[in-house]
Amino acid sequence: MKFDDKIPIYYQIKTYLYHAMLTGKLQPGAQLPAVRQLAVDLTVNVNTVQRALAEMITEGTIVSQRGKGNFVTEDQARLAQLKETLVMSQLAQVYRQLHALNLSDTEIVASLQRYIEHREGQVDDKSIND
Amino acid sequence: MTKVLTIKDLTYKQNRKTILSSVALELDSGKIVGLLGENGAGKTTLMRLITGSAKGKGQITVSGEAETAKRKAHVSFSEQLHGFSTGYKVEQVVKFYQTVYPDFDLSRYQAMAEFLQIDGTKKLAALSKGMKEKVVIALTLARQTDLYLLDEPFSGIDSMSRKRIISSILQWKPDAATILISDHYVTEIAPILDEIVIVKDQGIAVHTGADTIRDEKGLEIEDYYESFYAGGDNHDEI
Repeated sequence: MKFDDKIPIYYQIKTYLYHAMLTGKLQPGAQLPAVRQLAVDLTVNVNTVQRALAEMITEGTIVSQRGKGNFVTEDQARLAQLKETLVMSQLAQVYRQLHALNLSDTEIVASLQRYIEHREGQVDDKSIND
Repeated sequence: MTKVLTIKDLTYKQNRKTILSSVALELDSGKIVGLLGENGAGKTTLMRLITGSAKGKGQITVSGEAETAKRKAHVSFSEQLHGFSTGYKVEQVVKFYQTVYPDFDLSRYQAMAEFLQIDGTKKLAALSKGMKEKVVIALTLARQTDLYLLDEPFSGIDSMSRKRIISSILQWKPDAATILISDHYVTEIAPILDEIVIVKDQGIAVHTGADTIRDEKGLEIEDYYESFYAGGDNHDEI
């Protein structure tokens, strides 16, 4: 995984895990790799992984079981809420940029619809997962 | 969190020239810390002062031990292999380490040697620069101490070796131990650092968290580091 050195690494680890959870690479209830394994796999510091996981445990997206490890939550409502949050934050960026081009809300909706109708092939979501 | 290293009012002169002046630094246990600074800023000198192989004025404590002989036992320094005859085989150097350091863990060394693809039967003279550095890292981390000092482990070696070395650091660093890594090029190690310490103008110009820099300043560690050399007066963050 490549990191953007301008953005806190713990934050990027969270984003990485969220995407793994929402794309099904990490299923609800699935066990996460051990902290050190994650650190080695992602080439980041153990403490940074721990910070990311601690925040996710507080958020409720990950559940920690004493002596067993960390698991993706099985709470569907929580996962749906996570998905909604991520979708909204992606849209917020697009919206801001289009708004900056002086598009009205109606025009933004219309242009998004035009884009969906005319886009070629599948949406390339690779850039998010890499 | 316990302090693994405490330095107070440390001054070091060489041939009447001041290299370090009134340095103060504290490191928590369990961290990976980048020691950054230009060539000649005093990074290696600071490490040699910590191990006790250079003597300065001031106080240095490692794991509560201030006395040089006792302090040494708690520090593992990435000594280069210059002291050994080039006809020596790697496994002979390993034997030497086992004899000299009671805390040398052979099974740890062997696991790292396998991961780093070190051939113990090779003579030192036959090792590439990258392979030599791998041997040095494996020897250094095989000791079981509280503080590891890695002096520019990545200078002049290829990127594949670099990645392997970084992975081995992450894999074999004991949880409670602290690793201080010096480098003058930070980008390649930035993601693994908890904290950075910048040495400049005979002292510690800054000591802060790596994610703090990204979080609060939105800066890459490299850019932040370079800003100290761009002539800005950033000394308020000590």
